[in-house]
Amino acid sequence: MNGLVLGGTYALLGIGLTLIFGLMNLVNFAHGEFYTLGAYTTFAALALGGVNFFGAVAAALVIGAAAGALCERVLLAPLRDESIDTTMLVMIGLWIALQNAELLGWGGAAKSIPHPFATAPLTLGPVGIAPLRVFVVLTALALIGLSWLLIQHTRLGRAMRATFQDRETAALMGVRIGRIHTATFAFGSALAAAAGALLGPIFLAYPSMGDLASLKAFSVVILGGLGNLAGATIGGVILGIAEELGAGYVSSGYRDAVGFVIIILVLLFRPSGLFARSERVG
Amino acid sequence: MSRGLGVLAALALLTLPLWLASPYHLHVVIMAGIFTILALSLNLLLGYTGQLSLGHAGFFGIGAYTSALLALRGDRSFWIGLASAALAAGLAGWGIGRLALKLRGAYFVLVTISFAGVISLVSINWMELTNGPLGLPGVPPPELFGVPLRTKAAYYYVVLLAAVLAYLVCHRLVHSRLGRAFLALRENEPLAESVGVDPVRTLVAAAVVSAAMAGVAGSLYAHYVRFVSPEVFLFGYTVTMVIMVVAGGKGTLLGPVVGALLFTALPEALREAMDWQWQMLAYGIVLVLLVFFLPRGIVPAVERAWRRPRGRKPDGAPRGLPREESRPPSRRADAAESGATLTITDLAVEFGGVAALAGVSFQVRPLTITSLIGPNGAGKTTAFNAITGYLRPRRGRVLWDDVALSGQRPCDIARRGLVRTFQKTSVFPALSVRDNVMIGLHLRGRGRTLGILAGGRAIREEEARLGTEADVVLEFVGLRHRRDDVAGRLPYGEQRLVELAVALAARPRLLLLDEPGAGMTGGEKDRLIELIRRVREQHVTVFLVEHDMRLVMGISDTVIVLNHGRVIAEGPPAAIQAHPEVIRAYLGSAARA
Repeated sequence: MNGLVLGGTYALLGIGLTLIFGLMNLVNFAHGEFYTLGAYTTFAALALGGVNFFGAVAAALVIGAAAGALCERVLLAPLRDESIDTTMLVMIGLWIALQNAELLGWGGAAKSIPHPFATAPLTLGPVGIAPLRVFVVLTALALIGLSWLLIQHTRLGRAMRATFQDRETAALMGVRIGRIHTATFAFGSALAAAAGALLGPIFLAYPSMGDLASLKAFSVVILGGLGNLAGATIGGVILGIAEELGAGYVSSGYRDAVGFVIIILVLLFRPSGLFARSERVG
Repeated sequence: MSRGLGVLAALALLTLPLWLASPYHLHVVIMAGIFTILALSLNLLLGYTGQLSLGHAGFFGIGAYTSALLALRGDRSFWIGLASAALAAGLAGWGIGRLALKLRGAYFVLVTISFAGVISLVSINWMELTNGPLGLPGVPPPELFGVPLRTKAAYYYVVLLAAVLAYLVCHRLVHSRLGRAFLALRENEPLAESVGVDPVRTLVAAAVVSAAMAGVAGSLYAHYVRFVSPEVFLFGYTVTMVIMVVAGGKGTLLGPVVGALLFTALPEALREAMDWQWQMLAYGIVLVLLVFFLPRGIVPAVERAWRRPRGRKPDGAPRGLPREESRPPSRRADAAESGATLTITDLAVEFGGVAALAGVSFQVRPLTITSLIGPNGAGKTTAFNAITGYLRPRRGRVLWDDVALSGQRPCDIARRGLVRTFQKTSVFPALSVRDNVMIGLHLRGRGRTLGILAGGRAIREEEARLGTEADVVLEFVGLRHRRDDVAGRLPYGEQRLVELAVALAARPRLLLLDEPGAGMTGGEKDRLIELIRRVREQHVTVFLVEHDMRLVMGISDTVIVLNHGRVIAEGPPAAIQAHPEVIRAYLGSAARA
């Protein structure tokens, strides 16, 4: 069950990252920082703003999207025609700058995020689970579902899919690529922030939490195939469960190595991802 | 003048401990030396091959731990530790390279970054070996002939020597066949493969050398600080290296040195004013600003400001040997060897269910000029791609005499003497015309990594020979006067000639030209036709895709017509021009309507 909690949030992180990669051809190293941002926004809204917990999670989504949009407009839009290496360097720069800004702003001590759920576990037959965790899984599932709806059934989603397949043709058909890029980055960042807001109360909020989140998001994306949305969803859940098992059966010190082992295995045996279709699109 | 400066700089470096009184300053200089080695090593990958490693702290740490453990547990000397550090890190580089360089780009970055993360976890968790987070104190200083080099001044010379050697290693590599292959892959991978550069092998070689250098730096660090802890794997170290390379100028030899000196000295100078977090924050911002405002780095920017625009030699007729006397660039006249036949049998390619080639069979006979024509979308370029290994056909066979080419990689096919050009202009844009041709000569050289690093006479002679061959090829296509110009800035028609020169340099037995005349002016086309004829005279079979009927009908022995992925006609030009189905395919579908 813990695996599912982690898996759901990993999937959120992975979907955001895979969308950004597939559509913008951008390796977003700052992805984890939006996750951190989500956790701190929740903390700030609760502790300083006096908003209730659900409002704080929603605020994290909104702030995540806004920060994503801002970052895309200011940093990435001017570099759209540059090579992937150039934008990668910018994102690495942003990552380091944001992380240390957070460190300076919030201090190195971890913050715990209060939540309104009972701490006593719900017992369902043999398994007990904290209500907060149920909330996290359900919210993550809802957000994943919403992403699907957005991409498969809206005008924006169709434009995004078109851009994903062929940017130039989409532009010729009247899709405004600049806006699609901004929307995609904002959307991906919002999902990352949501993941941070959801996992923050379970663990703690601290400035370098984004590093691990980024690493995991990348594992998920490689597992599912770069740019593959369904792959990222399933990949997230697999990684979450694999980590739980790995920590349980091998050693908790190596929990965070599981993602790396997965990356290696995938690269060795299925380089295009576990769920790649035989014909690659894009 | 620059020689004088060099002597002065060398003198300054050699006497530095004498006039740098404060041990603290000497300490900063030693750290700068260690970071110079790291920056140079990262630059080999990031600057020359274009592959970013974010795991260099991992290689650095492996070197540090290997050397420290050998000294503490194995009681081995510093020198053995140093060599083992290079070996262990190089081995790690080989593994990571084999794993991730097949896919490259983002994958390589991700694998290297996670690799560094895992190595760090191991160093923390494997208590018995590494003493965990407490680290390994008491690493001894190096000894030379039984004398321990305890003083900072003595250590300074060790680091200086290592840094100079690292620079020389980079210098040798970069100015070799291997270094040109690095650049070729960075600039234009498909073109590099078409002249026989093996991407995986080349990049793995770069990764191994780079990792080994980082390992050396790690060993030097361990024996200098005399303490190793999991902190050596700090991601901050990797970031510092990236900044040094990008700021100094990636893909230049001097850039990483300048970057390393600057970004070791600067933070030390600001240490009072700023603590580590502010510094890292500044690093992040500096990196972003650099990409925006100084994307090529300090060294190239200074160079450009320094160098006054030089007078260019007048364009026009190439000087030197008259054309008729120019030596053939392609293989010597061993007609029997050149006379291989390309046989295509039932070749089929599909894109997402649409048949681009629906079972095509034809032959290209030795020493002919054969043209493949057909309306747009007929499958001509697809056929080229399938023959030269750029895409995998669904079925069918490609035979070169009796050797099956199906399933081979482009670089292996080039090795067999089939060299292609591309429909879209394809040169190594940032390199000079001569370097473009030198890359074309890749298969004509023999130098391997170790040989190049050793820098023996054979390697130097080979370089000289390749240089001469490159000039001969340039003479042959009439680009001698453009020798030192940057290929990407030439006019379109001349870029197409550069492409041809690159392909010819690879000494093809079968030259596949994909629309060589596209976009050329009438005069340029006439010269092209003459050139293709002269190529054939050098015992090269020519197989071309072309839309210009004057060109095709003027030079071809045989014309093959494709339409909707099938061969609809084959024969000498005259017969093709009169062929009813060909006329129908080109002039539209009056018959079909």
